[in-house]
Amino acid sequence: MSEGTVQSLSRIRARAIKGFLRQLLGHGGAQLGLVCLVFFVAVAAMPNILVGPLQTAITATGDFLAPPSGQHLLGTDDVGRDVLNLVAHGARISLTIALLATVISLIVGTIVGITAGYFGGWVDVWLMRLTDFFFVVPSFVLALVITPVVLEVMGRGGEILGFRPSLFVIIVVIGLTSWAFIARVIRSQTLSLKERTFVDRARIAGSSDTSIMVRHILPNLVPQIAANGALVVANAIYIETSLSFLGLGDPLQPSWGTLLSLAQRAGAASVGAWWYLGAPGICVLMVSLAFVLIGNALDDTFNPRRRVIP
Amino acid sequence: MSRRIGAIFLRAMMTLLMVATLNFILFRVIPGDPASLLLGGARISVTAEQIEAQRQSWGLDRPLFPDQVVDYLSATVHGDFGYSFKFRGRHVADLILERLPATIALVGLAQFIAILCGVMLGVYAGWRRGGGIDHVATGASLALYSTPSFWLGMLLVVIFSTALGWLPGYGASSPGATIGFVAWLLDYLRHLALPVFAVALGLIGQYVVVARAAMSDVVTEDYMVTARAKGLTNGQMLMRHAFRNAMLPVVTLVSLNLGYVVAGAITVEAVFAWPGIGGLTVEALNARDYPVLQGVFLLLGVSIVIANLIADLAYGLLDPRVKQ
Repeated sequence: MSEGTVQSLSRIRARAIKGFLRQLLGHGGAQLGLVCLVFFVAVAAMPNILVGPLQTAITATGDFLAPPSGQHLLGTDDVGRDVLNLVAHGARISLTIALLATVISLIVGTIVGITAGYFGGWVDVWLMRLTDFFFVVPSFVLALVITPVVLEVMGRGGEILGFRPSLFVIIVVIGLTSWAFIARVIRSQTLSLKERTFVDRARIAGSSDTSIMVRHILPNLVPQIAANGALVVANAIYIETSLSFLGLGDPLQPSWGTLLSLAQRAGAASVGAWWYLGAPGICVLMVSLAFVLIGNALDDTFNPRRRVIP
Repeated sequence: MSRRIGAIFLRAMMTLLMVATLNFILFRVIPGDPASLLLGGARISVTAEQIEAQRQSWGLDRPLFPDQVVDYLSATVHGDFGYSFKFRGRHVADLILERLPATIALVGLAQFIAILCGVMLGVYAGWRRGGGIDHVATGASLALYSTPSFWLGMLLVVIFSTALGWLPGYGASSPGATIGFVAWLLDYLRHLALPVFAVALGLIGQYVVVARAAMSDVVTEDYMVTARAKGLTNGQMLMRHAFRNAMLPVVTLVSLNLGYVVAGAITVEAVFAWPGIGGLTVEALNARDYPVLQGVFLLLGVSIVIANLIADLAYGLLDPRVKQ
């Protein structure tokens, strides 16, 4: 390939990306979602700088269940910890769990979907049977049964990759149980892609099946993976929050769900401590709404004919 | 048609088999032998001979596959889910049956309200796309869709129970207020109100989104133009042409959604200490009562599979094109 062609190719690509970004950023929902997301990512990136180290019952500075004031903007919890401090540190835990779980389910879902769609036949039938199972049974229910057993097997002590074992287990379990939706989308897209001429050309040129799947089909799936990936993150946040609320989280590294669980145990609702249960809940709502909005905007931008959710 | 039904049933059986297999595997993975677990773990001193005798009487000394798997599956099919750890000696099946009515009341009522409100609102929003109600309904639905329903429940307790004192936010009955059936029922319904509201609010969001999307697809169809050209009124077009066609995706969603509804109800029940399956699950979770957890998992699996069966079969009846 001559140098001129390479240059014009990269120019075309740059123009396409610019056009795509302009269209995406012109989308009202996407703007709202991105602003929200940038804010929470910033908080999650540097909670220590913003609100100081995570408070414990020993380092707590306030009264018990004090309502919001100048000193504690979001009030305090039942042992006197600053709720703003807890929520900011919770952002890091909740977002990390959701994003890592999503990465796992995107990888599994994409591999299953491409393989089933590309090879067809019995491979397709059996992989789709498996997918059907995970599609039909809610991942929250699966995680609810699997997580306590795995925790019992592994024990709760120590750390794995900087995570308490219970959080690590939650990441893996959510990741391995919520890929079915992605697999279905990817499979149906692969079915149409593999009939295209460029796949035939690659095959005649002597590419192996793996190389066709990875180098020719996968790049064309990026739009689907991105748009649906955003929805998977929202779902992962929901599952993590629910599991932690039921007490499967880790009080030493509290996520928003764990904070809600602590608030529930402290009877925050029945004593009217709205700030304690309100703050983590609003965070969950805002972050998952942000991902849903971004996912819908990506979907709209990639495929203007589809308008499932405006 | 019969071939289709056969395939549907085969798939349902496969799903159930996988739920049962997962149950079997999980129970064997837990550290510690089931026999020593059930004999009281380390709290009571048991001799090795006693454990061995128990293992033999339960068939635990036989090979895992096929003997134990077959035993487990046949016991499960006969409704024997084993004994609870926490409620010593109680059958898991009895415990679940005891708690089932409360959950059915909660989920059933919430579904009913959510379908009624959600579909009406969604259909109207899709019919009058771009209008004021459409904008409000779509925005609110997205927000509700992104909110965990148990958190909505906690907010409802703060507002309606703690601050206003209108409704109870805990349990299923007030102590001493249950003289006579009518008084009991009223008291029960008052306790049911907030949990139902919490579950229903979460569902309404989903139903509005789906009903609206289905409706906006339908109104651009050619047969709507034909209907208009025939001189039908708006109401006739809505009821005869748009509504019926838009209901297909909604029917599918409602029946496929059952698993997710019950799953959501588990956390809501935990907020309100509602004595249903969710409450039981949380108690089992805290006490690591695995047999009960497995029983609940199996129950959910069976109800999801049945809901799917109904959805598949209903789809064939509702949409004549599926029959071919």
